[in-house]
Amino acid sequence: MSIKILHKGLADSIQDKGRYGFQHLGIQPNGCMDILSASLANHILQNDTDTPVIELYFPSSQIQFLEDGIICITGANFVPVINEKSIALHTAVAVQKNDVLSMLQPLEGSIAYVAINAAYATPKWLNSHSFNDARLKTAQVLPFSMHQSNALHTVQTLHENLNHAFIEQVHNNLFSNTTPIRILPGPAWQDVNENALFELINTPFTISSQRNRMGYPLTGPKLNLNIPNAYLSSAVTRGTLQLLPSGDIIVLMADHQTIGGYANLGQIILVDLPRFAQMKTGISFKFNVTNLETAQTLFRTMYAPF
Amino acid sequence: MQHKFQNWSIYNLGDHALVFALAPIIDVSILQKLKHLHALIESKKINGILDIIPSYHTLTIVYDIPIFLSPTQNVNDQLQLFSTQLLSEFENKILTQNKNEATIHQVPVCYENIFALDIENISKTKQISCQSIIQIHTSKQYDVYSIGFLPGFTYMGLVDEQLKIARHNKPRNEVAAGSVGIAGLQTGIYPTNCPGGWQIIGKTPLKIFDPHPDKLAKFKVGDRVQFYSISKSVFDSLNEYL
Repeated sequence: MSIKILHKGLADSIQDKGRYGFQHLGIQPNGCMDILSASLANHILQNDTDTPVIELYFPSSQIQFLEDGIICITGANFVPVINEKSIALHTAVAVQKNDVLSMLQPLEGSIAYVAINAAYATPKWLNSHSFNDARLKTAQVLPFSMHQSNALHTVQTLHENLNHAFIEQVHNNLFSNTTPIRILPGPAWQDVNENALFELINTPFTISSQRNRMGYPLTGPKLNLNIPNAYLSSAVTRGTLQLLPSGDIIVLMADHQTIGGYANLGQIILVDLPRFAQMKTGISFKFNVTNLETAQTLFRTMYAPF
Repeated sequence: MQHKFQNWSIYNLGDHALVFALAPIIDVSILQKLKHLHALIESKKINGILDIIPSYHTLTIVYDIPIFLSPTQNVNDQLQLFSTQLLSEFENKILTQNKNEATIHQVPVCYENIFALDIENISKTKQISCQSIIQIHTSKQYDVYSIGFLPGFTYMGLVDEQLKIARHNKPRNEVAAGSVGIAGLQTGIYPTNCPGGWQIIGKTPLKIFDPHPDKLAKFKVGDRVQFYSISKSVFDSLNEYL
């Protein structure tokens, strides 16, 4: 079921889980900003979890379906409508040829995902359909094609298989704004004075409007290093808190560079990254320090159903 | 978890990466050690390792938590056991390895003003003739210490102290692919047209990054690069960017 972008959105793209295995050549992993929502959308349609999805920001692309099919929308609630009739999130929705999907208003969260019960019919580059800076364009047609496993499902059978408790658990994980964002201390932790560490944990931060898929700059207290900022570049990961010479923090996201030479204060734990990615600009949040055992246990629990 | 093994520091980078670090200096013997450790890890084909990323004094392993680690044993114990066993084997092996083998790349560079946007300025600032700058820049082999910033962007060192120069305060909006630059004691090559702040002293006609899956980055960390000077007409005949 191919789709057509009638009007392009702010920064929409096709994404899957991204590519690993090439960072030693400087090739970024890319992939969905909120892997939890994307995985959930594919899970609800009983797709392979690595099936590419459409990542939407607000204002979002207007999408026309060129054939009949089934879709699922997860992540941010942008009030989706098909031909002006509102549709539900977190469930399989039947669409018909020439139907148009629009997003009306950014009610909750920052990034929505649309999964389609069909295979994305373009070649991968290095095991992934995710690319740097490959924004969807007006009039672009994305070729999705049905294969046998997709045709096995109907909206009814997919509804019967919905795990409502799990969907609610995912939703709570993504949009609970009272829980701090948990981090593990990084190599430059000891190079920041205690006062700055106190501020990092006790002062609220907000995400700046300069955010993009490479990184989310934060607004908050300025933190200073005890030593000159003269680190040799080394590998960074998504969720890395880089302390810039200005005293500001930028959190690296899906399109991050593979190495970085700024002070590495710490990393947001994997299970909290989707929630962080979904936070709206200007909303206050706090950081909290956790430990490796907890971080990994939470991750295993959350992703076990996929 | 953070522990030591001989000269190594081993620490976690977040909840899904592990770093093997040596002394934080730019040193070719450290580079060679990391290269051999990288090769050893690769040869083991360990399940759950997603990426192995060398850079200057560190080698970072990014892993897939549920595949790389068991849920029934203590995480820190598992990582400590893994790194200790790996480094013991490595330190025993390294004694028998030839430490100086490296792939050497001969890289042509046209240092003429049409490409060498900053060479005149460096010449004036440093009171060195353009000819001497070229002679100094081509007089030694450089080690590739890191690849990043962009796919294939190559960080090499060390440049002779006479050419040491800071980056531009304000980066150029676009530096041409193939441009050869200097920043501090490092020299580098831009793989694609992109914004950049390095002082540009020439351009290579060779593609150092090709998205074709069989090609990708021309250099790897631990390789050596020897630049040699070519004229504009030779550049034109070798130009891979057409």
